[in-house]
Amino acid sequence: MVGLSEGEQEFIKGGIAQDLRSDGRKRYTYRPIYVETGVIPQANGSARVRMGSTDVIASVKAELGRPSAMQPDKGKVAIFVDCSPTAEPTFEGRGGEELSAELSSALQHCLLGGKSGAGAGIDLSSLVVVEGKVCWDLYIDGLVISSDGNLLDALGAAIKAALSNTGIPSVHVAAEAASDEQPEVDISDEEFLQFDTSGVPVITTLTKVGKHYIVDATLEEESQMSSAVSISINRQGHICGMIKRGGVGLDPSVILDMISVANFVSRQLMDKLDSEIAAADADEDES
Amino acid sequence: MAAKPSTTTTAKATYSPIDPTRKTRPPIFSGSDVDWLRPDSRGFHQCRPAFFRTGAVNSASGSAYAEFGNTKVIVSVFGPRESKKAMMYSNIGRLNCNVSYTTFATPVRGQGSDHKDFSSMLHKALEGAIILETFPKTTVDVFALVLESGGSDLPVVISCASVALADAGIMMYDLVASVSVSCLGKNLLIDPVLEEESYQDGSLMIACMPSRYEVTQLTVTGEWSTPHFNEAMQFCLDASAKLGKIMRSCLKEAASDEQE
Repeated sequence: MVGLSEGEQEFIKGGIAQDLRSDGRKRYTYRPIYVETGVIPQANGSARVRMGSTDVIASVKAELGRPSAMQPDKGKVAIFVDCSPTAEPTFEGRGGEELSAELSSALQHCLLGGKSGAGAGIDLSSLVVVEGKVCWDLYIDGLVISSDGNLLDALGAAIKAALSNTGIPSVHVAAEAASDEQPEVDISDEEFLQFDTSGVPVITTLTKVGKHYIVDATLEEESQMSSAVSISINRQGHICGMIKRGGVGLDPSVILDMISVANFVSRQLMDKLDSEIAAADADEDES
Repeated sequence: MAAKPSTTTTAKATYSPIDPTRKTRPPIFSGSDVDWLRPDSRGFHQCRPAFFRTGAVNSASGSAYAEFGNTKVIVSVFGPRESKKAMMYSNIGRLNCNVSYTTFATPVRGQGSDHKDFSSMLHKALEGAIILETFPKTTVDVFALVLESGGSDLPVVISCASVALADAGIMMYDLVASVSVSCLGKNLLIDPVLEEESYQDGSLMIACMPSRYEVTQLTVTGEWSTPHFNEAMQFCLDASAKLGKIMRSCLKEAASDEQE
């Protein structure tokens, strides 16, 4: 992104103050969102989400593994994000590492819930095959192909869509197995379990520019931000995760106001996403 | 006749390590009636006693040691130092933060590498408080070392780091005090210990500047309804205000000791 001149910076800030952004949107309007599912046939589930010029892909792979000793009745989920140099030349090699780490950690906070598993978007106990011995490990990988701001929201939406598209193969366990041996498992190619993604929360990032907050900031608008807060809210309107993304200090009343705005905006985003995902799944079934 | 040696010899008290096979299943808090007795018999809304001491590391520009119950952290601040030549000119200062765990800090050796994101969180918590314009072209390095992890590590690191920055004389808008709250069932426990953190259903960590009443860093995990979140945030803000006073009195003591 080329640097912005003083005039351009004032233009962006002034526009936001008057509820008219550079591309004509209002403060709480998202860019048009396009969702495609099943883009990666080798993965158990995948999705591609485009929000304006921001383009991300999420893929879900399931592999059998051992549950951790601390929580023998739950499967494991790991989320990694990779920022590809196709998005920005500065992401080559280790340049994108800091951003990837920040995005991975924010997604883990928002989607995986507390340590005991409460409030997680994914029900981990549905991933266990044989308690204490065999469970599914889900590896969720996000890839940023093109970056024009608001990466976290796009990745959250892509992961939600990828999970709705994910099929975990059914597993048959050999009946007689000694208690301390690994039981034999037979992965079937035919039957699949689908995830119920109505419980997966949606991430909304509110960027504060001057005195107002905007939703779905472009790269230019993000360069003018004073601070940003990303909130993940589920269907019941409960906060499933929140992380402040740096910048100046915020008054607590501002944070509470942001939560109510996020509640309002995320409702629309969730409905939009659900209809897009359903449409994408229908398209995939037809083709 | 020689007296018979007493048959009951008192066994010398020997060190017995923690029984590794003792694996307790985490309790499931289904109802709102939770009888959770805190290991150190604190009330649910009571923080651990805080201990700060500046000047822990002589060779650093500023340093501080903090001890909150079993969590022990040492932070040293170097700077402002000249930025590396490779970095571009910038008319505001740079902050570089690093948090590392000693290998013996956690009950299981080497588990501290789970907390790789603490460095960037510390950076975000402090950057809103430091007046970066006062040291252009230079970098301030903050290095935190967790000597023993007893729960609520990141809040202790943040509070200790701001005491160390004050000790180094870096200009700040205000001290950053940080507190975390754990949610177990319907109960809110402030300043959780390691055991409570492993059973928690949700957590809220706030780093704020008490005098300015501004939040510099906020992290929430788990599911919270808005009024519950409101209540937890108020607890954290009140506790941070009290912690801020303790930090201030520690710095004043250190300064008056120097004058004498």
